[in-house]
Amino acid sequence: MIAETLTASLHLTSPELILGIGALVLLMIGVFAGPKSAGLVNTLAILLLVGVMGWIYVTPLEGLAFGGVFKADAFARYMKIAALFAAAVSLFMAAVRAKAEQLDQFEFPVLVVLATLGMMLMISANNLISVYMGLELQSLALYVLAAINRDNVRSTEAGLKYFVLGALSSGMMLYGMSLVYGFTGNTGFTEIAAALSSETRSLGFVFGLVFVLSGFAFKISAVPFHMWTPDVYEGAPTPVTAFFAGAPKIAAIAMLTRIVLSAFDPVFHDWQQVIVFISIASMILGSFAAIGQKNIKRLMAYSSIGHMGYALVGLAAHNQTGVSGLVIYMTIYIAMTLGTFAIIMSMRNAEGQPSENIDDLAGLSSSNPFMALILTLLMFSLAGIPPLAGFFAKYFVFVAAIEAKLYALAIIGVLASVVGAYYYLRVIKVMWFDQPRGGFAPASAGLKLVYGLSGLFVTAYVLFGGMLGTAADVAAKALF
Amino acid sequence: MELTFLALLTPFIAALFAPALTRVLGARAAFVLVLAPILSFARLLTYLPDVMAGEKVTGGFAWVPSFNLSYSWYLDGLSLTFALLVTGIGALIVLYAGAYLKGHPQQGRFFAFLLAFMGAMLGLVVSDSFLMLFIHWELTSITSFLLIGFDHERQASRRAALTALAVTGGGGLFLLAGLMFLWNITGVTQFSLLLMLGDDLRSSPFYMALFGLIAMAAFTKSAQFPFHFWLPNAMAAPTPVSAYLHSATMVKAGVFLLMRLNPVMGGTPLWTIVLPVVGGVTLIAGTVMALRQRDMKLVLAQTTVASLGLLVMLTGFGTEKALEAAVLYLLAHALFKGALFMVAGQVDHGAGSRDLTEVSGLYRAMPLTGAAAGLAALSMIGFMPFAGFLAKEEIYAALSSGSPRDLLFLMTAFAGNVLMGAAALHAGISPFRGRLKAPVAHPHEGPFGLLAGPVLLSLAGLAAGVASGQFHRAFGNPMASAVAGHPVEMTISGVPHAGLPFALSVVTIAAAAWLFSRIGRVQQNARALIDALGPGPDRAFDTALDGLTRMAHGLVRRVQSGRLEHYLVVTLLCLGLTLLLSLALQGEMPRWPALGAAIPPAEALVLLLALTGVGVVLVASDRLTAIVALGIQGFAVGLIYLLYGAPDLAFTQFMVETLAVVILTLVMTRLNLKGADHRGTGERLVDGAVAVLAAAGLGLLMLKMLEGSFDGRLSDFFNLYSRTVAHGANVVNVIIVDFRGTDTLGEISVVLVTGLAILALIRLRAVAGRRRLADNDPADAEEQA
Repeated sequence: MIAETLTASLHLTSPELILGIGALVLLMIGVFAGPKSAGLVNTLAILLLVGVMGWIYVTPLEGLAFGGVFKADAFARYMKIAALFAAAVSLFMAAVRAKAEQLDQFEFPVLVVLATLGMMLMISANNLISVYMGLELQSLALYVLAAINRDNVRSTEAGLKYFVLGALSSGMMLYGMSLVYGFTGNTGFTEIAAALSSETRSLGFVFGLVFVLSGFAFKISAVPFHMWTPDVYEGAPTPVTAFFAGAPKIAAIAMLTRIVLSAFDPVFHDWQQVIVFISIASMILGSFAAIGQKNIKRLMAYSSIGHMGYALVGLAAHNQTGVSGLVIYMTIYIAMTLGTFAIIMSMRNAEGQPSENIDDLAGLSSSNPFMALILTLLMFSLAGIPPLAGFFAKYFVFVAAIEAKLYALAIIGVLASVVGAYYYLRVIKVMWFDQPRGGFAPASAGLKLVYGLSGLFVTAYVLFGGMLGTAADVAAKALF
Repeated sequence: MELTFLALLTPFIAALFAPALTRVLGARAAFVLVLAPILSFARLLTYLPDVMAGEKVTGGFAWVPSFNLSYSWYLDGLSLTFALLVTGIGALIVLYAGAYLKGHPQQGRFFAFLLAFMGAMLGLVVSDSFLMLFIHWELTSITSFLLIGFDHERQASRRAALTALAVTGGGGLFLLAGLMFLWNITGVTQFSLLLMLGDDLRSSPFYMALFGLIAMAAFTKSAQFPFHFWLPNAMAAPTPVSAYLHSATMVKAGVFLLMRLNPVMGGTPLWTIVLPVVGGVTLIAGTVMALRQRDMKLVLAQTTVASLGLLVMLTGFGTEKALEAAVLYLLAHALFKGALFMVAGQVDHGAGSRDLTEVSGLYRAMPLTGAAAGLAALSMIGFMPFAGFLAKEEIYAALSSGSPRDLLFLMTAFAGNVLMGAAALHAGISPFRGRLKAPVAHPHEGPFGLLAGPVLLSLAGLAAGVASGQFHRAFGNPMASAVAGHPVEMTISGVPHAGLPFALSVVTIAAAAWLFSRIGRVQQNARALIDALGPGPDRAFDTALDGLTRMAHGLVRRVQSGRLEHYLVVTLLCLGLTLLLSLALQGEMPRWPALGAAIPPAEALVLLLALTGVGVVLVASDRLTAIVALGIQGFAVGLIYLLYGAPDLAFTQFMVETLAVVILTLVMTRLNLKGADHRGTGERLVDGAVAVLAAAGLGLLMLKMLEGSFDGRLSDFFNLYSRTVAHGANVVNVIIVDFRGTDTLGEISVVLVTGLAILALIRLRAVAGRRRLADNDPADAEEQA
């Protein structure tokens, strides 16, 4: 009997097991082969991530493992594939620029794989304890990644800031979890929901809820817990930033979605207010603060804050359309962000020195028309201008908000995106209309491939978006 | 159906190939590219008989089926007439652009943008589904942005492009919100279904919000006061763009939207007051600003603003006659204004300037251009028997019922027409009459491509007026019926009927001619008037944009100082406020616990110790003191555990506190940081206050928690079973070694492994220790970086 349930659990967690064992094997290879194995370990890590992605794709898993702390369903499947994809692409881009960014250390890919493992646990977590475990596995790896350039002041500062604020938020989340546990008597999502629907909720529970949500807000860098984002994005090595901007966001949003929709569903009026607030605050701050930015990595940081705000609109709607919209939003966001970072990594002057100033893009349309074209498409898409993918992302979440009669939220969102459009358009203006300066060294083929595909994705989304939409619907249905 | 789909896509396809084609053929590529609009035009023309018979043609494909998104078109009198204008004038513009930009290094790019715009505009007018309308609406804004900024070496062009995009693109988002409202109220996503609904929208409680959103979209796109400023700025674009986008097509999109929705949204008090008033103000403002200008293109641009005002005014007015007038004026305007803009480009091209004070007497040198300009200007002032005449008669007829409201708008329309007439004569006649004057030595007529457009359009204006019966049947009646929502029959013809409208027409022309005869004086007065009014919305827009940027900088400086301390302060402040405010606002403040008779002296002492520790932390001037004080506070907490009979817990607390103090001190000394506190008094007060606030919040929350009843299930369980099942007297011990024995084993293993790892690290350090250790001085590190 026990053996049977154990086998079933192991089967359900097979992707995580493969990833975990794979990470340890990679570590061993690195340790025994020494520093020169960095390239090999990186390649193997990419293969591992892609392999697990394929495994998840071909074996749809469904069920509860280890006494209900781990849940495999269609939602988890979709989000895991997205997170693995984002991690693999980030590693691929990092491999291209490893030497120049001093990332040619075998620890780097191992940490990325471990962080990804944490993310997969977060996505499937069905219990407060497994949430915390997944989250910390991910976070500890990310703290180290932010500071991986030990000799660089900016990188160490970024790592320290991220760690201190991250630890604080983890503490708050734990505090909240203990309150939730104290007032519902359970840590499992299903049991919490049952307890909440059978008795009236107490104030202590509401505080617990708010603390837990604050912790999540930190992880997805939503206002008012966003402060680390611009500093860490700017300070961390660019390939690390590209990783930060993608996969962890998917995992945190997936975890947040699952916890509010399964554990806290009976009290959705309580959390809806919180989500609406952080969504509005993030959209507004993301839009306004980005305007003054000169550094493109900082710009992307504010952009990501704003985008998380838009994605949360879908969650605030508390309906299946909204979650489906959120899933699509995250997918499109990942594609746009990875493409943009591929271009940021290609921004190197003739001597090969990286440049991060928006003004350095001046006249890109004449010096490197292809890159300028793709970045234009990506910026238009990030601004949400039709018929590019970014527009559909916003459209679906706003539709859900209107369906849920959250008119104020939808209208503020639309207004914020008007302001937000301004700074994306400024980048386009600089590229096409300003006097050229110097130009960049030719981009490497790998990065060109990434941003080319990203540009293709945002343009062609109108044609094949239906397929993704169907997949997102299936994923969203699992939570309702 | 496939053919129609192809006809709608043809401009986009042509845009795709335009750069390559231009590279091969040069300016002659225009003769190939012009086939795209001609083919679309021809295909659309086949629908004319059906539409004339009052039918509505729909068709399309599912686009993204899972989201109920379709690429579908809806052709009725309104959309078909617009589509024919877009493709018909578009064909002439492509030819014109071929000659106008001949030899320009980026002519291919220009063609691509222009054709892409054409495709977008065509899609906009024929859209059936809301989303398709919105997508094409925003595409017209983007292509317009690219076209205005085409001469990107000029600062004015860049600024104008950004302004136009900010205003029209932003307005587009109002449209999106409006369309979502439409869909939410009615449940339909297609105009073909929406237009069958009748009064559903007018009686909806959301009508006002819906109207506001739609009106904002229309006003920004159609350059209504106070959003009109982007249009004159947009004249920085090459002339073919001004003629096409900024007079004949794109700027009419807002009017198109209002006309499209008139059957289901029009007629309400809001509609019949707001639109005519905004339109009327725009009309007068536009004409006065037109008279101020010297640049031929700017004169025309301002009269375009005025004309759009007139159209909005008439559409809002809503009577059958007024709608007929709007339709006639829209068609006439597209013809004469397109022609006049192209003439302006011609004059610039052939005579070297389009400043009206620098050129005159060009008729001899450029007879065809002059004739076209004259015909177009006559149509514009409403001379018999041009299309403009029909429109003006109908406008006056529509407004002459005699009620006070009608009288007000009649006067507005009259004044506007007189002023606009003077501007039209100024722009259309001045360059050609009188003594020859031009910056270039030999002003000359342009090539075929430049001439075809103005000549054909101005002749079309004449033909429409002469053959008014056929014109009404083909375009006027179907379009007016579509706008009104029921069949409408126009009767106005080129032969005047005696009556008030005709009398007003005559007076209008006479007054315009009189003003034109003293144009210098008029210009001075107009300039003086505008200067007296102070800075306009153009300046306000710049100020707002500057303000926005400044605000953004300020915001970032405030919330994003880059200093960890500030982030922590903000986080803790949020925490404290959340707790305190929600406790206070929900009326859930805990009762102050009854402390009984008195606090025992031992406890009081411990409390005092803890408070002293915390107090010293707040006021300590160097780090070491603060760390030690924090330790004292921790020890006091340990003592409390001890007093309440939890020696094991107290022991753990002592250990942790000791270690924390030791490690922190070690790190501080090792890090070589400055010992003194660098914060000023104010900063320390703020920090202290935030700390106290957060602590108070948590403390109160704790008290509140304690008010609840204690859930004794776990204690009961362990009390009951510790001895009977696990044979132990100490519950804590039994839990650790028995009830959760496996966990304890796991913990021990973790500690063991950690110990091993530390050992390994220490060994490593011993080897590395022989090398000089890097001093973690931040200044050093910065130098190295």
